[in-house]
Amino acid sequence: MEKQHHIQLLPGDVGETVFLPGDPHRAQLIAEHFDSAQLVAHNRQYVTYTGTYRGVRVSVTSTGIGCPALAIAVEELVKVGGKNLIRIGTCGILQKHMEVGSIIVATAAVRGDGTSREYFPLEYPAVANLQVLEALLASAAARRVQPHVGIIRSHDAFYVESALARGDYLARDKPWIESNVLAVENESSTLFTLSTVRGCRAGTILVGGGHHHFPERPVFGDAMEDLLHQITQIGLDAAVRLAPAG
Amino acid sequence: MPAAHEHPQHHINMVKGDVAPTVLIPGDPARVLVFAELMDQAHKVTEKREYITYTGTKDGVPISCTCTGLGCPPTAIGVEELWHIGAKNIIRIGTCGSIQPHVRAGDLVIATGAVRGEHTSEEYISMEYPAVADYRVVRALIDACRKLDFPYHLGIIRTHDAYYMESPRASGDFRARLQPWIDMGVLCLENESSALFVISSISGLRAGTILAASNPIWEAQPSSEEWAANIRKMVQAGIEAARLLHERGLA
Repeated sequence: MEKQHHIQLLPGDVGETVFLPGDPHRAQLIAEHFDSAQLVAHNRQYVTYTGTYRGVRVSVTSTGIGCPALAIAVEELVKVGGKNLIRIGTCGILQKHMEVGSIIVATAAVRGDGTSREYFPLEYPAVANLQVLEALLASAAARRVQPHVGIIRSHDAFYVESALARGDYLARDKPWIESNVLAVENESSTLFTLSTVRGCRAGTILVGGGHHHFPERPVFGDAMEDLLHQITQIGLDAAVRLAPAG
Repeated sequence: MPAAHEHPQHHINMVKGDVAPTVLIPGDPARVLVFAELMDQAHKVTEKREYITYTGTKDGVPISCTCTGLGCPPTAIGVEELWHIGAKNIIRIGTCGSIQPHVRAGDLVIATGAVRGEHTSEEYISMEYPAVADYRVVRALIDACRKLDFPYHLGIIRTHDAYYMESPRASGDFRARLQPWIDMGVLCLENESSALFVISSISGLRAGTILAASNPIWEAQPSSEEWAANIRKMVQAGIEAARLLHERGLA
């Protein structure tokens, strides 16, 4: 078999659990949390490290921003042995009662992206896998982290719906805020729909780096690094829980 | 949560205190009687239009059952009004038509999410919003089936409006219409869950669905006795899930 066209991987190059950050630089930061890690491939924004964590083989592949690039990564990762796909990333918080820097675990996603529509009619739900969701929640609880758990919104145009967007973005956010949507990001709706149909398990854990109600208070620098460290640890513990017993 | 209402709700005809924190909602009024029979004790609270409610106890746990009638329009009304009077968990109990060869009569289906092939929920929020079951209710339904040793399938189901477009009795080539959903791995067809899930997520209710499956809808179907036995199992699993939610501090 030839290497997959974009991610440049062969069957066996990844562990069953693959973490999916958007940012290629973050792939390396996540790999630094493994007990051992090796750079396996680097093509375009797709950077993959594979290694072990507490005896379980794990990988990280950066997808770049957005669903078009993420869908390519998911399709190709499934072909080389990815079974549990866990997105680790950042998001913008929508609900006033949530703190900047909150940790969020997604149960499902609003399909505000174009990619998943090319695959599946819009009425098909973007739902996280129950086992991955429960593994993330149990791992967070074991580390005494209390995430917000609920529906997030994935969409395409960052500069239409973010704390840095032009115009009255809160007016555009209103239907989602009123429907208990916790945060916005750019990848999970395609990750959830495509994974469900391709028969792999997907989940998402995020840090709210920006807040739509408090745009003047983003999280960055060391505080952000610490939160990303926390969700990476939770993701790794979840990979151990998802590994077949023995 | 809206303020307590003293006047009976317009359709379900009940006030706060009339239902338990967990309410099972069948579409068919006959299933309310199956529920009442399987409880340790249950009494009829009210009946108005298709909305019939029984409340009772099982192993000391209070559980209610309100029939909502067929389809999303009356289900949405039922769910809204149950929310107004303090329901916390709503579990749809019903039947479905299998569209996968491995989902067969005698099996139960637990929904993780639903395709929104209906219009009621779209009046609430646009189609890109997910119809997702609450994971704690899904977990309780799985654990109930395991405890009772009932075979179940877990996955995405399809809710739609027009029975005579997508059923073995439908006109024309219904299988061709269903092929995209079959290819996506959707387990079965029914008429209520997507509105239940969407309205529950918006309202902060926990919702789930458990269904008794038919054979794949292009095959021969079981006898009415077999159906009745399977429906009984399905209601039993719903009651056990309600009990587990109570035990887990979620009711």
